[in-house]
Amino acid sequence: MVVAITSTLPVLEMQQVLKTREHAGSRFRLSIPELTVYAGEFVAVVGESGCGKSTLLDLLALISKPSSVQCYRMTFTENEQRDVAGLWSSNDENALAAIRRQHLGYVLQTGGLLPYLNVRDNLLLPVRMNRLPDGRRRVQEMAQRMGVADCLHRLPDSLSGGQRQRVAILRALSHSPRLVLADEPTAAVDKRRARLIVEDFRALARDQGLSIIMVTHDLDLVRSVADSTYGFEVTQVSDNDIQSVCCKELS
Amino acid sequence: MSVSGSQRIRVFGLAAAHLRHEWVLTLCLVSALAAVLAPLLILMGLKEGTIETLRDRLVQDPVFREVRPAITRTFDQQWLDQLRDNSGVAFLTPTILPASSVIHLSADNASGELMDLVPTAGGDPLLLENGGVIPGPDECVLSSEAARRLGVKQGDQIDARVTRSRAGRIEAVETPLHIAAVLTPRAGGLARIYTPLDFVVDVEAYKEGRGVATRGWKGESARPYMSFDGILVFSQTPLDPVTRTGLVVNTGLLKAESITADGFAALTGMPWPDGWHAYDLSVPTGSVTSSSVEALKRKLRGRNALLMPYARGMSLQLPDGEMGLTGLSLSNEQASRLGWAAPPWGDLSATALESSRLFQMLLPGDAGESNRELSVGFNGVVGFNLPLRVVGQSHSSQALVPAELLGMLRTARERAVSYQQEDGGLVLERAGYRGFRLYARSIDDVPALVERLRGEGLEVVAEVDAIQRIQVLDRGLTQLFWLIAVLGVFGAGAVLVASLYAAVERERKDLGVLRLIGLARTDVFWFPVFQGALIAILGVGIGWLGYVLLAEVINRVFGGELSPGQAICRLPPSYPWLALLATLVLAVISSLMAAWKATLIEPAEAIREE
Repeated sequence: MVVAITSTLPVLEMQQVLKTREHAGSRFRLSIPELTVYAGEFVAVVGESGCGKSTLLDLLALISKPSSVQCYRMTFTENEQRDVAGLWSSNDENALAAIRRQHLGYVLQTGGLLPYLNVRDNLLLPVRMNRLPDGRRRVQEMAQRMGVADCLHRLPDSLSGGQRQRVAILRALSHSPRLVLADEPTAAVDKRRARLIVEDFRALARDQGLSIIMVTHDLDLVRSVADSTYGFEVTQVSDNDIQSVCCKELS
Repeated sequence: MSVSGSQRIRVFGLAAAHLRHEWVLTLCLVSALAAVLAPLLILMGLKEGTIETLRDRLVQDPVFREVRPAITRTFDQQWLDQLRDNSGVAFLTPTILPASSVIHLSADNASGELMDLVPTAGGDPLLLENGGVIPGPDECVLSSEAARRLGVKQGDQIDARVTRSRAGRIEAVETPLHIAAVLTPRAGGLARIYTPLDFVVDVEAYKEGRGVATRGWKGESARPYMSFDGILVFSQTPLDPVTRTGLVVNTGLLKAESITADGFAALTGMPWPDGWHAYDLSVPTGSVTSSSVEALKRKLRGRNALLMPYARGMSLQLPDGEMGLTGLSLSNEQASRLGWAAPPWGDLSATALESSRLFQMLLPGDAGESNRELSVGFNGVVGFNLPLRVVGQSHSSQALVPAELLGMLRTARERAVSYQQEDGGLVLERAGYRGFRLYARSIDDVPALVERLRGEGLEVVAEVDAIQRIQVLDRGLTQLFWLIAVLGVFGAGAVLVASLYAAVERERKDLGVLRLIGLARTDVFWFPVFQGALIAILGVGIGWLGYVLLAEVINRVFGGELSPGQAICRLPPSYPWLALLATLVLAVISSLMAAWKATLIEPAEAIREE
C-alpha cells in the first residue's frame, strides 16, 4: 500500500522548542532549534544516555509539555494540520491523545506490550481504538511478514526477546500511523537482527510513506540508512545545570 | 473527530481482560464480596419470611382488623361519616344498643331461639372473608352456631319475631327472612344473625314503642320534646333574693332575675300585667326542659304564681312578611288573672299536644280576624314550613302560638326535627347510634386507628397487641439487619478500595502505555471503575446463588410446620436487583480512589519504569 503525499509540508516541524526539567535541585535543559521530518523520511537521533533522547521522544510523542516553543506543528494530510504548541498551551489533552491514537506509532525499548492480552489482541488494540476496518487480516499479513504469525495466540510473556520486539514494532504500525517513534528498538536483539530491523524501518518509510524517527546510541547502525541524523551537544553550565542542544548533523 | 465514546468500550474490554488474566485475585475479590452478601441476604430473607408468615396468620382473619368501642355512647352520623372517610378504614357500620338487638328466630314453627341481631352492609369483611355474602332486604346471614341451633342451612327461610311491652301489653310483629349464607366457624362462636342496618334500626324503633310505617308495624311516632331558653314567673307578691335563689335550686335553672317592663315587652310583645311582679329564670348556655317547668311549678305551689316559658331569637315568616313569635299557653282563669285574653288552646300541658290543638296561632290586628290556614316558616330554627290555622286575634304585638309548639320547634336547634304530614306532625329524627363495627384496611392501619380513637377519649377494643408485637419485631430485625449490613459494607468497601488501588499501582506501566498509544486521562479513569463494577456483578451473582441454596436448606429443615406458600427464609423478587444496585454503587464508590490515582499516571514516567 503506497500512499502518495502530494503536500510538500513536513510531517513534523519544530522550531525553538525548549524543555526544562528540574529535579532535586538539578536542572536539565533541552533545546531543539529546528527539527523537520518529511513524509517517507527515516530520521535517526543518536546520543549517549543522559543527553536528552528520552526528553526529545516524550516531546515528540506528545506526552511531555514543552516549556517554551516557537513552532511545533504536525501535518498528516493536506487537510489535517495540527498546531501541537497551541494544543499544549490550551492543555487540550483529549486532542493530543487523539493524535497519539490516530497518527503516531511508538516502539518502546522494552516492548510495552500488555501482558494480559495475547499477541493478536495487542496488535489489534490500536486498530480497534481507531475503529479501522479489516484489522484481523492486516494483522495476520503483517505478522507473517515479520515472522511472528505463529505466536499470535500467545501471551507476550512467553515470547523471546526478539519476537517481543518485533511484535512491539508491529503494534506501532498496525493502525497505519503517519509518524513512528522508536526508542532504542534494537537494544534487546543481536547485531544481525538489529540491522534487519533498521532495514525494515527504512523499507517501510520508503514504501508506505511513513516518517520514522529512531532513537539509538549506535551511530554505526543507522549511519548508512538514515535520511538525516540528529545529535546532541551537551554542555555542563554548572554543577547542577546541564544544557543539551539537539542539532542536525551533516552527513 | 472525537472517538472518546468508543474508547470507554475499549477500556471496558481491557479491564475485563485484565481481571480474567489475574483470575486468582479476581476470584478472591468476588468470593470476599459474595461472602459478605450471602449472609446479609439470608438475614434479610429470614426477617422477611418470618414476619410475612406471622403477618399472614393475622391478615387472613378479619378479627385482627376489627375495632369496636368498649363503651356504649351516642355516635352521631357526622362523626361516623368522618371516621369512615379515614383512609385506614375499610368498613364501618353503626350498631344499636345490645339490649335492643335481641331478636327471636324460629324455623318451621319450631320453638325458636333468641339471638343477637348485628347490622351489616356492603363490603363487610367479617361476612365476605368467612364464606358469606352481604344480605339484601328481607335476607339475613347466620353464624354457624346460629344455623346449627336453628337447624337451618343456606337458602332456608326463618321467621324473625320482634316483641315489646307497651302499656302493660305484650306486642309482637313477625317477618320472614331468607338465609343468604351461613358463615364459617372462624367468624365467631356466638349465635348471631346479620341483616342490613335498616332492618336492625326498625327493630330497635319497634322495641322502643314506635311504629315503622314501611313495614306495617304499628306504634307511636317520635315527637320532639319541648325545650326553652327560660321561664318567666309572675307573682303578685315580690320575691326576695333568698326565695329567688331557692327557685333555681334543683330545677335545672341557674339564674333568677327580675325583668323590666321594657324587657318584657321586647321579649313577648305582651302588655305588662298590672299588679304583678315578673322574674326571668334561665340557663345562660343550654336548654330549659319541660321537667324544669314541672319542678318550678312544684316549688311555686301555694304562691299563686304563673309560669310562661319562652324562647328567644325565633320569628314567624308569613306570606306577607316577618313577625315576632311568642308562645303562650294559659287557662282561662290564669289569663283573666293576668288581664290577658285566654288563648283557645288552653293551659300548658306536660306532654305533646294533639296536632289539631298544636298547629294554631293568633295574629295581631286585622290579620287575626279570619279563620284560615297559613303555611308559615320559622326563622332561626327549622327549614320547613308548617300549616298553622289562624284562630283569632292576638292582643300581643307578636304572633301567639301554643308554648308547646314553641318548645318543640326550639328543640330543632339541638336535634333534627322534621314535619311529616302523613304522620300527623313533627317527628324527632334519630340522634345517632350507640356503637359501631369497624374494620381497618390492613392490620397495619389498626394501631393508628386505635390511637386516634383513644386520643378522642373513646376506649376501643382491638387486637392491636398482636399487630404491634409483629411491628416491633419487624423494626428490631430491620435495625439488626442494617447494623450488620453497615459492618459488611465497611468490610467489603475496604477490600475493594485496597484491591482496586493496588491493581492500579501494579498496572502503572501498562496504563502508561495505554495513555501513550492514545487513551486520554478520562479514559483510564474508567479502568478501575469498570473492574469494580465487574467484580460487583460477579459477587452479587455468586452471593445470590449462595443465598438461594442456603435458603432452600433452611426452608426444608425448619419450614415443616408452615402452610403451603409460606417460607421461613424468602426475599421479594425485587431483591436481587436491589442487591445488585447497592453493590454496584458500593463498588463504584470504592473504585473512585483508584480511578483518581489512575488519572494521575504520567506516561512519560510510567513507560520507563521497570
